[in-house]
Amino acid sequence: MNNKLVINYTPGPTFLHKLTGFTKVFSFLMMTVAIICTYDIRLLIPLLIINIFEIISMKPDYKPIVIMFAITFVTVTLIGNIMLFVVSPNVGLNNIGAENIIWHSTGRLYLSKEFLWYMLVVFIKRTASFASVIAFALATTPSEFASGLNKVGLPYKVCTIVSLAYRTIPDIANDFINIRNSMMMRGVELSKKASLWKRLKNTVLILVPLIFTAFGKVGSIANAMDLRGYGKNKKRTWYAEREPSKGDMVIRALSVVLGLLALYYIIRYRIIDPWPAKMWCPWVKYEDVIQINQIDTIFFMKWFKK
Amino acid sequence: MKEPIISFKNFGFRYKEQKNPTLFDINLDIYPGEKILIIGASGSGKSTLCNCINGLIPFSYEGEITGSCTVNGIEPRSASIFKLSNYVGTVLQDSDAQFVGLSVGEDIAFAMENDMIPRADMLPVIERNAKMVGMQDFIDKVPFELSGGQKQKVAIAGVFGNDVEILIFDEPLAALDPQMGMTAVELIDDISKESGKTVVIVEHRLEDVLHRPVDRIVLMSEGRIVADMEPDELLKSSLLKECGIREPLYITAMKYAGCSLEGNRNLCDLPSLEFTDDNEKKLREFFTMSREPVKENENETVVSFKNVTYSYSGDRNELDDITFEIKKGERVAIIGKNGAGKSTAAKLLCGIIRPASGTIELEGQDIKNMSVKEIGERVGYVMQDPNQMIVKDIIKEEVGLALSIRGVQKETAESQIAKVLEICGLYKMRNWPVDAISYGQKKRVTVASMMALEPDVFILDEPTAGQDYRSYTEIMKFVNTLNKEYGKTILFITHDMHLAIENTDRAIVFADGNMIAADKVFTVLADEEIIKRASLKQTSLYNLAVKLGLDPESTIQHFIEYERSVKENE
Repeated sequence: MNNKLVINYTPGPTFLHKLTGFTKVFSFLMMTVAIICTYDIRLLIPLLIINIFEIISMKPDYKPIVIMFAITFVTVTLIGNIMLFVVSPNVGLNNIGAENIIWHSTGRLYLSKEFLWYMLVVFIKRTASFASVIAFALATTPSEFASGLNKVGLPYKVCTIVSLAYRTIPDIANDFINIRNSMMMRGVELSKKASLWKRLKNTVLILVPLIFTAFGKVGSIANAMDLRGYGKNKKRTWYAEREPSKGDMVIRALSVVLGLLALYYIIRYRIIDPWPAKMWCPWVKYEDVIQINQIDTIFFMKWFKK
Repeated sequence: MKEPIISFKNFGFRYKEQKNPTLFDINLDIYPGEKILIIGASGSGKSTLCNCINGLIPFSYEGEITGSCTVNGIEPRSASIFKLSNYVGTVLQDSDAQFVGLSVGEDIAFAMENDMIPRADMLPVIERNAKMVGMQDFIDKVPFELSGGQKQKVAIAGVFGNDVEILIFDEPLAALDPQMGMTAVELIDDISKESGKTVVIVEHRLEDVLHRPVDRIVLMSEGRIVADMEPDELLKSSLLKECGIREPLYITAMKYAGCSLEGNRNLCDLPSLEFTDDNEKKLREFFTMSREPVKENENETVVSFKNVTYSYSGDRNELDDITFEIKKGERVAIIGKNGAGKSTAAKLLCGIIRPASGTIELEGQDIKNMSVKEIGERVGYVMQDPNQMIVKDIIKEEVGLALSIRGVQKETAESQIAKVLEICGLYKMRNWPVDAISYGQKKRVTVASMMALEPDVFILDEPTAGQDYRSYTEIMKFVNTLNKEYGKTILFITHDMHLAIENTDRAIVFADGNMIAADKVFTVLADEEIIKRASLKQTSLYNLAVKLGLDPESTIQHFIEYERSVKENE
């Protein structure tokens, strides 16, 4: 069950696993901020490498990760870029500000060096976020996730919903399999023999008892929680939130540094001395930029500069 | 005289959604340190009563309260459930749903977390409480790795986190197999003795609870307290039967033997029970009466497993070299604790999973090349929870589902559905919505929806789990009709020993993936070795036989036959 869903229910043995929930959530937030705020490949590549090292250090089972990566690669990167190429081959110009055409077909279709660069940057950015999510999921148990979210300021009732959801996923999966089996015995065809539409219709049949079974449990869970004083106070403590170790302090400090770096980068290169286009590109010089994206923040920033 | 810790005076309660009150004229005092059993059939109001003590009423269930109720000096209706939770700890029936944490430690800590106790102060308490219930080596385990009994132990440790005065156990045995149930009863008893806390147990399985002594039994029926007396007195009275509670088997045996229940000391505790001389003589005579030899079932074989092996992960065989045969018209109990392989065997028979080696035959045909759908026309599998099977709103449609999927002509289907509904006693309700019927009737609907395809073999997975005696009797009577009048072969997957004794001819016992016995029910139940390996519980008939120095096997056999002749004449 653990590997199938890339959910860790028991904390693992490595350094990253042993960090507290708060450290994990906080550093994940900082990492996400850093990845989101930039399209600069000089920053994205180090971030990607850090996350890949984090994943390797936890010695995970790579199979589900590779499968998930393959699926997102095919759907988002391959198909997405082909669509993009057909619809707007000028994204390179819009985001980088210059255009060196290397191949021109009839009509509106053409390929530029900048389009390829754009593709590369976006791919690195997506892969870095993918890796950071996987690293976080591998390192964090649902309880740590809940307690960590609470520590960074989310109301604890929201956090409990998170951990309760994780608590019930395997049970619901189990119920689903049981109900499906009994439906199959009654002749409800769910295998590839039936047409896709029919299978879809039949799957809806399963959902009816599944939902009712799940709702039946809600009452018991709510009673069990009420009876043990859930919601008694405005705050609560967390068993899953261990006392921070030296390692935690180091990681928290590094995360703050990462956040500050991201902030510095925004202020320095986007506000004080902004690069005129959205993306930096090695062969495009400052004066080469002929077009800037109208909706980009820098466009507005120039009003403040002068 | 001590002050009562719980006191009801002319208490009554009506749920907001209901017209009539659920509880009437409740007058009950429970004193500190007492161990009380509240017993009654489903719908007798026993759970409602305990929800009045722990504050779920009126906190979660609104309604109208009359009279007075005080718990530890406070009126639940004027205090909050949180205030009450400082004094009252409740272990709920559904041991899975009440496990809200994602590890044993976290679940035990849940109440302390809500009390904002710092983590460092929780740890020693968690350790102490886990040790008390014997779960100290499982602190980091996740709920999915635990058995029902272990989850329940965690729940007990969890309510102790509050350091409460009163412990309420709401149907603690409902979800447990016999061995675990026995352990739970012992654990509850140990806790009540060691801690001196007030313990209230709500159950309908009288014999299992009486495995350890209780101070008083409160019998409830239709919202009223019918009896509040010592266990011995209650057993002597005829009240149990009238209120739909099953009396202990050895008491039934004594009644069959014509014994008077008066004058026996310690009637509620078989090991220390002292029979009167007259009774002992009568029992001996009864169990040694000559009787006719058992007829062998000589019908043709419908199900056969030949050297069947199955493994899920490849490293451990979940079923190892299983061989058995089931004859047409037999009623067979498949018993063993959870994970022993009984469900796996059933799934193999249904074709949901396929054996690694060996063959499974249905009426002499290898099922290897049959699809699940085809097997479904010969074997009807009825799940434990009918709510997990029912997908349509109207009974008629639910029963006809399998036919409409197979594209059976409308007229043929209609007449088939009518026939099946008639057999199952549901014809009058055919247009009723499924929501409007009872649990037992839903069970019938699920059996009927399988019947539509006219299978010869039925597999019933725990058909009576969590059911009181009345509902149990209703379900089993129906199943027995299918067997006797329509010649259906019935396989019960169960750990209910009463069910096996009263309703089956043969038992197939699984333990750790092996079949350890396939024999007459009384032979299996009289074999101490098998009982132990399969985590079953010795029936009180066995203990009665040992106590009287009789042969257990023939004693149990005699009892079964006598009881069946009584039932047939009813």
